Order: sequence, then structure tokens, then C-alpha cells
Amino acid sequence: MRVIKKEDFKEFVNLLIGDDTKEVVGVKAKGGKFVYDELSSADELRLDFDVTVLSPKKYFMPPVETLLRYDLSSDFKVEPVNEVTPLIIIGIHPYDLIALQQLETVFRDTYPDANHLLKLERSILIGTNMQNVSPHSFAASMGTATTRYGYDLMLTDIGDSYYIEIGSDRGEDLLERYARVSKPDKTHEQRFESVINGIESKFQKALNFPPEELPSILARTYDSKLWAEKAEKCLSCGSCNLVCPTCYCFDVQDVTELNLRRGERIRTWDGCLLEDFAKVATGENFREDRASRYRHRFMRKGKFLYERFGFIACVGCGRCASGCLPDIADPVEIYNTLKEEAL
Amino acid sequence: MMRPSVKPRVAFFDFASCEGCQLQVINLEESVIDLIDIVDVVSFREAMKEHSDDYDIAFVEGSIMRPMDAERLKKIRERAKILVALGACACIGGINALRNRYSVEHVKKVVYGDADIEGNPFFDVFHTKAVGDVVDVDYYVYGCPISRDELAKVITSLALGKKPEIPNYPVCVECKKKENVCIFEKGGFCLGPVTRAGCGAICPTNGSGCEGCRGLVDNPNTDSELDVLKKYGLTVEDALGRFDLFCYKYKGEVSK
Repeated sequence: MRVIKKEDFKEFVNLLIGDDTKEVVGVKAKGGKFVYDELSSADELRLDFDVTVLSPKKYFMPPVETLLRYDLSSDFKVEPVNEVTPLIIIGIHPYDLIALQQLETVFRDTYPDANHLLKLERSILIGTNMQNVSPHSFAASMGTATTRYGYDLMLTDIGDSYYIEIGSDRGEDLLERYARVSKPDKTHEQRFESVINGIESKFQKALNFPPEELPSILARTYDSKLWAEKAEKCLSCGSCNLVCPTCYCFDVQDVTELNLRRGERIRTWDGCLLEDFAKVATGENFREDRASRYRHRFMRKGKFLYERFGFIACVGCGRCASGCLPDIADPVEIYNTLKEEAL
Repeated sequence: MMRPSVKPRVAFFDFASCEGCQLQVINLEESVIDLIDIVDVVSFREAMKEHSDDYDIAFVEGSIMRPMDAERLKKIRERAKILVALGACACIGGINALRNRYSVEHVKKVVYGDADIEGNPFFDVFHTKAVGDVVDVDYYVYGCPISRDELAKVITSLALGKKPEIPNYPVCVECKKKENVCIFEKGGFCLGPVTRAGCGAICPTNGSGCEGCRGLVDNPNTDSELDVLKKYGLTVEDALGRFDLFCYKYKGEVSK
């Protein structure tokens, strides 16, 4: 554990920015919201954010990513592409750190995905405990409002200083090289404890039951009328998928240049709410109606991925609820209603 | 070597339009060299003098306004193996379809007044039609104007003998991928949730709501879109009015 005075923290961030070995990104304000973006000065950093539009997933699974380049002009030539920019990401809330851990598990499974894993390996994650909470967030219910793992460093605002938990040797090394820190004294420890203990009370939304019950609740409510009722309003716009920090489905396309010689294989974010998501080559669509697509997402988050990987694939960030224009995506509302139905 | 041994013969045609979509073809700039390397352009009034009626692929811009247009279009269809509708006017009627809210007689009166046009085929107009309302269309390149990247994608796909991947998901997808703050949250109005993507969400990215120039997705939830427009403060009438500019074609379905 360390503490760093706020003015020293600014200097630390500016030193990181000044050092060219890694690109420094952090939370910045954008049009009344917050986004992760490259920092040009510590003054841009907004650690008081509630939630960002997209999670830091965008750095490890970019919205559009080239997987390989091909050249058809003479001998068939193909080369894999893995464009990695080593990053230092400053200001990741615990729920997003846990989401990144989940993604890592997924991308290590069966065929380890070099494009995802190398980006993760080369980056340093600096977390921050929540000062403000999005009105749609229910991370406290999901056990993701705080975390003891998944970060290199974790910051907590304790007034005139940040309390720093060290999660890795890389994190410790970073402090040693760039930061003026000290060991926390008793007052620091007390303030830290009190901030951590106060986080849960900031949430406006909560599940009425422990998340461990979700798989069995969903097993009993597969045929609920709720799915069709809610899905009637669904725009099939995929916004809930696209802003989700744990959604990882993608589409792969070959894009050939007009010269018909060179081209790229790209992958891009897909979403199970989109109409053509489960459409296959013959034209058959396994989830043709809105209701089956709508149900699938909740089943997958709360049951299917639990069965496969052992975690509930929802970290309670509330981005889906705030991004849904017809207001039908709030997991708290859906899961609490299903809990009642499943009784 | 996947390049075709015989280059497909390609022709461009225009009907009622600003010809801006054909201009986008010319705007491919240095890629035009690649284009004429893989296809033979045999007719393209906006770009060349030569003309031939012997072609494999016809690109048709513009909407169909008169019986004489329909006849000309049918001939093009007969000659072409593949017909591609180019741009909003051809794909969905586009801005030209705005006049479909009035009777043909009223439109003629407003535009030509008391001029003697009776029996003149040039002025014999019917309600604006999209190309697909008159003949079968094999592929659509949507938008006002079309996107050059998408045009290139369609041409390369045709040259390689595969089906072009044209999005059947709404503009929201591309907006989210760009991490735009939602137009509705910024106090604006947007047809993005029901409009076919492929434009890279160019309007919302630059701060204005989607006007629907690429037409709607295959199964748009227009009832829900109307509810959203109303939730953010539009009257039913104004909400429906959002569909006028490009999506008049769909308005009958929207207001049901």
C-alpha cells in the first residue's frame, strides 16, 4: 500500500505521458458523458466519472480490427496482423476490471486469441474506486463495486491524497520509477476503510436477491411472457450489446481492395440483438423474432456463460440500461421481475 | 489468381436525380484506375462520350417519375445480367418521393402552372417510384450520396462472384462503435435506430440526427421509434414528419 498526494499524482501522470514507452489513456469528459481517450495532460483526467460510454474493452477488442492481410496477385500470400499499442489506462472502475478478467478467460478458452491477449499483456491497468455512481449501475449487487484483483494499481480518493493498492510487480515498478509516494499512516488507512465502506450506499439500483440465484431463476423462466412483452419495444439496434463490457461476439469479413489483389480480413463487434446475428448461409435464422433474441441476451449473461465459465457475465455497470432508447434493457428490472415469477 | 479472365462490361444510367451518386464513382479518384482495370465501363454519360448497349452490369441512379422512364428502365433490365440500384433516389425513391404526398395533378399545377403540357410525354408524370418498384433489382447501394467504400465493396464482390455484405442493422451500431454520445441524449432527434447502417454514422458523428437516407432496415420497429421520438418531446405529427425527407416510401407502414 502507498499514498500519493494529489499534486504528486498529477506529476506522476504527466511523467507517464512524457515517457514514450506506452500511450497513456484515461477518462475524459465528452459531450456531457465520459470516455477513455488519449491523455495529453493530467488535467484532462476525470477520476470523478460515473461511467464511460464504452468500457476499456475497446482497447483489447477494438470495434474494428484487422486480423490478417492477403495478397492474391501472384502466390497466395497471407500474413497475420496483430497491431498492439502498449497502453497505460488510468481510471478503471472495479466492475470494468472484472469484465476485463472475464473477457480474458473467454479469449484464453479453447483457441487462445493472440490479438486480444497480447494487447492485454502489454498494457498496465490503473483502477480507481468509484467516487460517483451511474443511476443505472447495480455493481454492488453483483459483487463488482470493489475488487481485490485485476489491476496493476488501484486508486482510492481519500481527500488530499490517493490511497494506492498495488496489484502487480509492474504496478509497483511504475510507482518506483515515476511517483513520489509514501507508506500510508493510520489516518490514511482509516480514511481508506471509510471510503470503501461508503461505496455500496451510493447505488440507486439493486437486485432483490443474490446473483448466484440467477442461473436457476432463468432456468425456470425461459418460457416467461416477459420476454415477448418487453421485446415488442425492442429496436434490435444492438446498443445493449455494443456498450456491454462483457459482450465479445464478433463478425469476420474479408474486404478486398478494388484492384482485387490485396485485402484484409477484419473482425468487428456483433450483437445477438441484431436481426441477422443468428442467420446462416441458407438464409435460415435461428433467432428470427425479437423476443428470442431479447431473451437470449439475458440467458447468456445470467445462465449460459455461468454454465460454461463459472461467472455471471454481467458486472452491473448499467450501460445497457442507459443506452436503451425504449427503456427495456435494465437487467435489475428484468431479473427482479423474473425472481418474483420464479417463486 | 482470383481476377476474372473476361472483364464484366459495366454501364451507368441516370433517372431523376442530382447525379451525385455517379459523381461519387468518379470521386473514387486514383481507385478509378483499379476500377477500369477490373471492369470495362461501356457507358457512363457523366464521365465519357462512348456508349454501348452491350453490358453485363447496369448501375442505375435516380427515381422513376414517368411512363417513359419506366420503359427505358425495363430495356436496361432486359439487357443487363445484374442490375444495381445506386443511391437513395433509385433505392427508396429518395427526396423525389416527397411529392407523393400530393396528387400528380396538384404537383403539375404547382410546377408548370397553366403551361400547355397536355399529351406531352415529358410531363406525363406518375407518383415517384424507386427502381425496385418497376424492375427487379439485384443489389442496392444505399445512401444520399452513396458511400464510395460501399460501392467499392459491391463492385469487388460482384467481380469475385460473391454476395456483397450490406448491413441489415441500424445506424446505432456504427454510432456505438464510434463511441458517439447519443443524439437523443444531446437533445436532438434521430432515425438511426431504424435506418440501415453502412454510412459509418456520418451524420450523428458530426452532430446531427440521422435523416434515414439509406432507408430502413429490413424489419424496422417503427412503432418503437415513434415512441422514442415522442418520449424525447416530439408530437406524433412531428415524429412522423421525420420520415418525410427520405423515407416517405415507408410512411404508410409507420403511421399504421
